[in-house]
Amino acid sequence: MASSPCNSYSEPPIIEQVITEFFAKSLHIILESRSPFVSSRNYSLDHFASSPSSSSSSSSSRPRDKWFNLALRGCPAALENFDLWRQSNLEPLVVDVLLVRQSSTMDMTRLSPGRCLLRNPSGKDKFPMSPRQDELGTRSEKIIERWIVQYESRKNSNFGKEMYLGSRKSSGVSHHSSEIPTLYKKTYKRTTVMLRSLYLFVRLLPAYKLFRELNSSGRIRPLSLSHRINFFIEPFTQAEDAEMNQFSFVPIDTPCGRLCLCVSYLPILEDVSSEPSTPLSTQFIMDYVGSPTTDPFKRFQSLPSAGLARRHSWSNDHGGMPSGSPSPSPTYSDSQAVHYNPTVHLPPHHLHDQPRSAISIPRNALAARKKNTSFEDYLSSFPFSAASSPFTPTHFYGGHLPNSLLRSGSAPVSIPSSRHGRNCGLLDQALPPSSSKPTRPGYSSQTDLLRAQNTSASRTSSPEGKLQTKKDPLSLGDFQTGISSAKAFSFGKDEAGTLPGLKCSSTCIPLSRSSSRLSLLDGFDDSEFDYPFADDEDTTESCNRLELSEGKDQVSLNLETRGLVPVPRSPDAVVGALVRMLNTAPPLRQDLSNSVRSSQVFRDESWIPRIQHKEDMEAEVEKSESPVSSSGITASGLPKPRTTADALAELRSYKEMKELLVKQGGSQSSDDNCKDKSADRDSS
Amino acid sequence: MNCETCQLKELVVEPLEIRDVLRCILHTIVFHRALGLVRPKDVDCELFEITYVQCGDAELERKIDEKIDLFIGWVEKHPNKKSQVCLSFYEVRNKQATWMFSNKTERLYWEQWYINLHVINTKTHGKSHNSKAPINPGDNALEESSSRRASLESALHEVLFQIIKFVNEKKDHIPSVTNSEVISFPYEITTPR
Repeated sequence: MASSPCNSYSEPPIIEQVITEFFAKSLHIILESRSPFVSSRNYSLDHFASSPSSSSSSSSSRPRDKWFNLALRGCPAALENFDLWRQSNLEPLVVDVLLVRQSSTMDMTRLSPGRCLLRNPSGKDKFPMSPRQDELGTRSEKIIERWIVQYESRKNSNFGKEMYLGSRKSSGVSHHSSEIPTLYKKTYKRTTVMLRSLYLFVRLLPAYKLFRELNSSGRIRPLSLSHRINFFIEPFTQAEDAEMNQFSFVPIDTPCGRLCLCVSYLPILEDVSSEPSTPLSTQFIMDYVGSPTTDPFKRFQSLPSAGLARRHSWSNDHGGMPSGSPSPSPTYSDSQAVHYNPTVHLPPHHLHDQPRSAISIPRNALAARKKNTSFEDYLSSFPFSAASSPFTPTHFYGGHLPNSLLRSGSAPVSIPSSRHGRNCGLLDQALPPSSSKPTRPGYSSQTDLLRAQNTSASRTSSPEGKLQTKKDPLSLGDFQTGISSAKAFSFGKDEAGTLPGLKCSSTCIPLSRSSSRLSLLDGFDDSEFDYPFADDEDTTESCNRLELSEGKDQVSLNLETRGLVPVPRSPDAVVGALVRMLNTAPPLRQDLSNSVRSSQVFRDESWIPRIQHKEDMEAEVEKSESPVSSSGITASGLPKPRTTADALAELRSYKEMKELLVKQGGSQSSDDNCKDKSADRDSS
Repeated sequence: MNCETCQLKELVVEPLEIRDVLRCILHTIVFHRALGLVRPKDVDCELFEITYVQCGDAELERKIDEKIDLFIGWVEKHPNKKSQVCLSFYEVRNKQATWMFSNKTERLYWEQWYINLHVINTKTHGKSHNSKAPINPGDNALEESSSRRASLESALHEVLFQIIKFVNEKKDHIPSVTNSEVISFPYEITTPR
């Protein structure tokens, strides 16, 4: 009588081990293709050599991964504790593959895909490896697959009878103890084949594609895969069951039972690629709008030829700042480049990382304040000078400007580097250290300061900001600087031959002049530049005019738009022009308070502006909040458009003033003499 | 021992798709019959979004590619024909020599897989790709091509499922493993001649 190894409804130990390893291997295969981080773990071939399940069998010398001749990569975390938590082979192994939708980005960053929820048989306690609730945040889970691996013993009443009845008909099952090795081999072989099929099958289901996409994208997605291992079968709802497809592997008969493996899966899953996702790693976005990376000219701060600032970096685009500058050594080509470039660009140097908005002043603001004769308005008119009624430098400098320069320059001009900055309070706000040198050689620095002035002014592109600049005691210098810059700007353009309507005299200072201020000054006797001053109304009109131009005047226009800084072609040129004008202007007496203040404004003597016109200055002083109103125009805001006639008139006024002063001085001296005499008389 | 035969679902393929399809199917079948120690290697199809598994045996890979080349060569000579590629597993038995001079070995096939392919040539079907054709394939041709490719992918998916079902249903005919080779059983791939 053959003894059945299943009398006790217990498998032979070797078969028991096969069953145990079958559970483990099935779990491994499933998790390896569903849990994103399973394969990341290094798994030693002999890692589980000492595991209880493997050591209990006579043939347990093989490492776990070599069971069923299927060496797998990685070791799921769940598998490590699997043997600890699984109490019996009679317990089913239920692996739910979950599609987790995370609602919060914060949660997503902390969500660890592939986290495993293990439940004890009671189903209530969570194992340590389960994620904390606070980590999960708000998330929804949906079972997309359910794998059920179970061993059905004959102990089971229904199955046991079937097995008992079927065993007699089965051709491959023997219950003799002597046949255990044969049984073992057969069971092992069939189990091996089944696991081969499982390995292939898990890769054919839709969840595998989802797994691959989530595992390889490296991006934070609202969707993620997770899994949950239970040791009991939680039935689906009717709705869930209706949408699931089922597939069952052919059970493998064992001496005392059978191994079953089946899966319920959703045939259609969500398209992960359509979900928004964010990069996993924090990255600095370097190419944001307005960054130096997107504005190449911004980087080239020392390249004077990089005068290809874009218009948008100057105009209403607050995110841009022109970089690059045709000055201090603008060449003809640079000018031409500027000509074709609609944007005004400032000298690149010393204006590192200046936000574009710092120098971007909407023309709307400009137009709205056109009635305001503030210094900012005045400066803002600078870019329009080319197209507007030219302001003759003679108005300031004695009217030695040729008529040609008084015409509005329509050609684009390059913005020289700031040359007045050191004298400009505006510039103090954004003075780079190098540009604060109040030395003559620092024309480039002045240019930088000028640009910094632009920057700072445009940064505070608000009335308050402009008022701040207006209140600056150095605003006169700004004005003067702007005037000179504009003049040089226009002049330089003319010299470059790109300024229509501007005629250069022989003494025109070309744009191609180097940053040598002396050379600029020398060549600035007959300033041919068209000082880009315009009335408020004219400024607006010229803004429009210039806007519509092909781009010739857009450089200056943009300056006007910014409303702060004149657009000298080069700092040296502008400086030279201004100085030349100042030098040619008649000196003023000390009793002219404006002159005193103006001298205070400009530390550099060469920058001491000559009082243009007493009346104008006084008028400007009244309107201006700046204590320095000697320049009149600078302090008070938008300058009036200057024509040759104005310049001549101013010159006449200078002369008259001079005569008056002389007379006054003479009379005063005579009075003093008289007083002295009377005092002497009295004393005597 | 019976010889289990599995006729796989016919696949309509283009010449360029032959290699990818045959590789997928052949490796999938052999993987089920490679009962030696294998380290599975996941391979993504080049033309389809299907991942199949290889045994990792270089010799097997070489043999399969070799047979595929032969088949492709035959297809080029016999375009637009239905054909079969047969993968057979057999046992070698020494046939007792009836004659003193012969000692033949006998192959007992215990499993045969017939991969049915219908190779179509789009050129001969009016969808010319040569330069002489009007350079205006249009969206229709592109849509048809992609549709056909998707259909083939689905069909290939079904074939793989068919293989898995067959392998799971038929296990008793598998002979015992008598060696430690990766490919436990000898096999041969037969292409049309």
